[in-house]
Amino acid sequence: MLSLSYFLQQSMNGVILGCIYALLALGMTVVYGILRLINFAHGALITLGAFCVYFVFFRLGFPFVASIFLVLGFGGLMGLILDFVAYRKLRGGPEVALLITSLGFYTFIENFTKLLVSPQPYAFKTPAFLATLYRTPFLTFRIVDIFIILSSLAIMLSFHFFVKRTKMGIAMRATSENLEIANLMGIEVNRVISVAFVLGSAIAAFTGFLWGAKYGQISYDMGFLTGVKAFVAVVVGGVGSVPGAMLGGFVLGLAEILSIAFLPTRFAEYRDGIVFAILILVLLVRPSGIMGMKEEVRV
Amino acid sequence: MLKLERVTVKYGVIPAVWELNLEVREGQIVALLGANGAGKTTTLKTIVGVLRPASGRIFYNGRDITMLPAPQRVRMGICLVPEGRGIFNRLTVRENLLLGAYHRKDQEEVLKDLEEVYRLFPRLKEREDQIAGTLSGGEQQMLAIGRGLMSRPRLMLLDEPSLGLAPLIVRELYALIRNIRENGVTILLVEQSAPMAIGIADYVYVLETGVVKISGTPEEVESLEEVKKVYLGG
Amino acid sequence: MRKELWFVIGGLVLFGALFVAERTLNRYILHILVLMGIYSIATVSLNLTNGYTGLFSLGHAAFMAIGAYTSTLLTFPVSLREAYELPRLPWFLGGPDASWPFFPALLVGGALASCAALLVGAPVLRLRGHYLSVASLGFMVIVVTFAKTLKNITRGPMGISAIPLYTNLYWTFLWLLITVYVVWRIVHSRFGRAMMAIRDDETVAQVLGIYPMKYKLFSFAVGAFFAGVAGGLYAHFTKAIRPFEFSFAMTFQIVVMLIVGGMGTMSGPIVGAVLLLTLRYALKPLEEHLRLYGFIELVYALLLILVMLWKPEGLMGRKRTALRERKEEKAWAEFSIPR
Repeated sequence: MLSLSYFLQQSMNGVILGCIYALLALGMTVVYGILRLINFAHGALITLGAFCVYFVFFRLGFPFVASIFLVLGFGGLMGLILDFVAYRKLRGGPEVALLITSLGFYTFIENFTKLLVSPQPYAFKTPAFLATLYRTPFLTFRIVDIFIILSSLAIMLSFHFFVKRTKMGIAMRATSENLEIANLMGIEVNRVISVAFVLGSAIAAFTGFLWGAKYGQISYDMGFLTGVKAFVAVVVGGVGSVPGAMLGGFVLGLAEILSIAFLPTRFAEYRDGIVFAILILVLLVRPSGIMGMKEEVRV
Repeated sequence: MLKLERVTVKYGVIPAVWELNLEVREGQIVALLGANGAGKTTTLKTIVGVLRPASGRIFYNGRDITMLPAPQRVRMGICLVPEGRGIFNRLTVRENLLLGAYHRKDQEEVLKDLEEVYRLFPRLKEREDQIAGTLSGGEQQMLAIGRGLMSRPRLMLLDEPSLGLAPLIVRELYALIRNIRENGVTILLVEQSAPMAIGIADYVYVLETGVVKISGTPEEVESLEEVKKVYLGG
Repeated sequence: MRKELWFVIGGLVLFGALFVAERTLNRYILHILVLMGIYSIATVSLNLTNGYTGLFSLGHAAFMAIGAYTSTLLTFPVSLREAYELPRLPWFLGGPDASWPFFPALLVGGALASCAALLVGAPVLRLRGHYLSVASLGFMVIVVTFAKTLKNITRGPMGISAIPLYTNLYWTFLWLLITVYVVWRIVHSRFGRAMMAIRDDETVAQVLGIYPMKYKLFSFAVGAFFAGVAGGLYAHFTKAIRPFEFSFAMTFQIVVMLIVGGMGTMSGPIVGAVLLLTLRYALKPLEEHLRLYGFIELVYALLLILVMLWKPEGLMGRKRTALRERKEEKAWAEFSIPR
């Protein structure tokens, strides 16, 4: 059982799950860095994105590329709406108030989806051209696995580039370090925040598609635990740090898959528990995360 | 150029600045002196738009800017070099400088100005890609001023630039401030330590608990007994 | 002492009213009343940590689960244990032929929840505000996972049914009365003032010589105790429990009740619980007839959002005027001004 190919196979699954967590963590860490908001509603975007692709691509028969752009646009729009409706009014309020409100919006979206689609999970077929199976001596994979890894890496690299090199990206990092001074520099902080929401949400919606294509099933409540785990990835990697969020995502994905792969099968049901055990451990041992800088206490 | 008319600023119900009248003329260096808690920083933040006055008006080049948000005022050429430098510690020197020009659209000009700032502060050029948090206190102050210059200000507000710097560097700094004025930037200088500031200024205001206690030309102010006693250590 | 007298009088009036209610109202309404009582206990106890101490825990359902499972396992009739694949009690709990009476079983359930709170709280309560929320949410996931996997004790995902029906109107409201009294006593004691000082400003509290950890742990443990009791009452009322019942949906309900009613007020949690359950049972026929599953939760979420955006202090709360504006708030105030 503990053969090389088994290890590789499971590692690949871990990396794929890691990609999904990392993509979600990108949006969360940027928003958290600026607003100190744990955006539970971010998880709902995965659900929305997955169903958006389901209806547009499978039901309405849009071309694949068009569907992807549509879901990105849809996600971005939802992010913008959330920012305007939900969080703009609460700027500067206590962190906990932001958190509660985001819980409210998560639950709202979840149940709205439940009303619209149905409480039953939907089967999500992998698009035909992604479903081809390849066998090699060490690894069996489908094109979709490669697609997920490559597209995730592409998104992560471009996001990293965006944050590091572009004017808006630099402004974003500046804002998350010091809001007041950023404002003094003539940065329209609200616009920066909106951009963060739009980008993060678009990526999250796209991740919903990846999830469906990989795991073959989508449901109205798929976003909750996934979203919370993505936040765990943010904390593990180091809050507010973009490379940290990606690293945290991979660490978490690998830890989750490998721990159930190499523990006796009766522990399989502990996988969610393991993730949160990691969280509590990290918070205690190294609260600033792997790559995080020490967070100044904001008084 | 800048005119404050009976400006009152409050934190909650407690006024920090009370019915302040202040004027800065084009091309001047105006010094605003006062002890800790006198309302100096509050005044600057109100001018730049981070704080909003409870009453009173602020005019800039004849235009009422009392209700304009900060980013718009920056675009009009007002720039604050905040107390304690207020640079972005986690960003590189270059990124800090570029943020100073955030609102500007003329990229080529911005890069020219960047070179200009580097010419003015060669130390910054050397440390271009270093994280700003690792600079020394003097270098950080240079960076803050350089960043301010990047916005091509017409009015520069300096909040205690000499705070925590060695005397030698302070002297350098004041030479620089004079230099900036020569280049056509009007300056409102806030300081706790008076002698240097009075030496450089064209006009002096002294704030005490939110109220202008004394104002006048440096010569007038210097000759006053209480200023001598309290601010000039004589 | 006068206040205690009021409690006794209020209690007597309450039980008089309950007696009348039991004689006159129909069973459906009585059922709802008991649920209101149980949820009130849960909400009042959550208020102690979340409202008065400022620890925004999202793990309340976990403590209820611990209480529910503990008391169920203690009281389950010996004769049925075989058939329901439940273990008999070990010697230190009275041996294989024992099953416990209701009241002590509830106490033990609460106590165990308290112990769990101390155990988890010692590391987790050191975290700042919203980290605590996520960590406690994680704790809840872990507890539910245990309930699902420890099959020899909890029967796993299918849960336990045929739990004896012990909970009635009187038990429920007796416990509610006890909960409210204890919380009220704590809040108006030196302890309570220390807790509120920590909530308002932990640094200042420390400077005043308050050791925050002690008070945080205390309020977390007391809150968990009554959550455990509420869980026990719940189990012995619905007669069946399954692990997934005690997950986020339940915590969310209680949180909404607390927020809508008003955190950090005495009457808020009860008002919230009564109001939201009334709403639930008013909307239930609609949801079932139109097959709008999720409609009630949707309304709850909407209510939560509305309250958070427009009346964050809750229905019973008074607007708190901050003595010291936080620096951040000042900075943000600028951006919130409509342009």
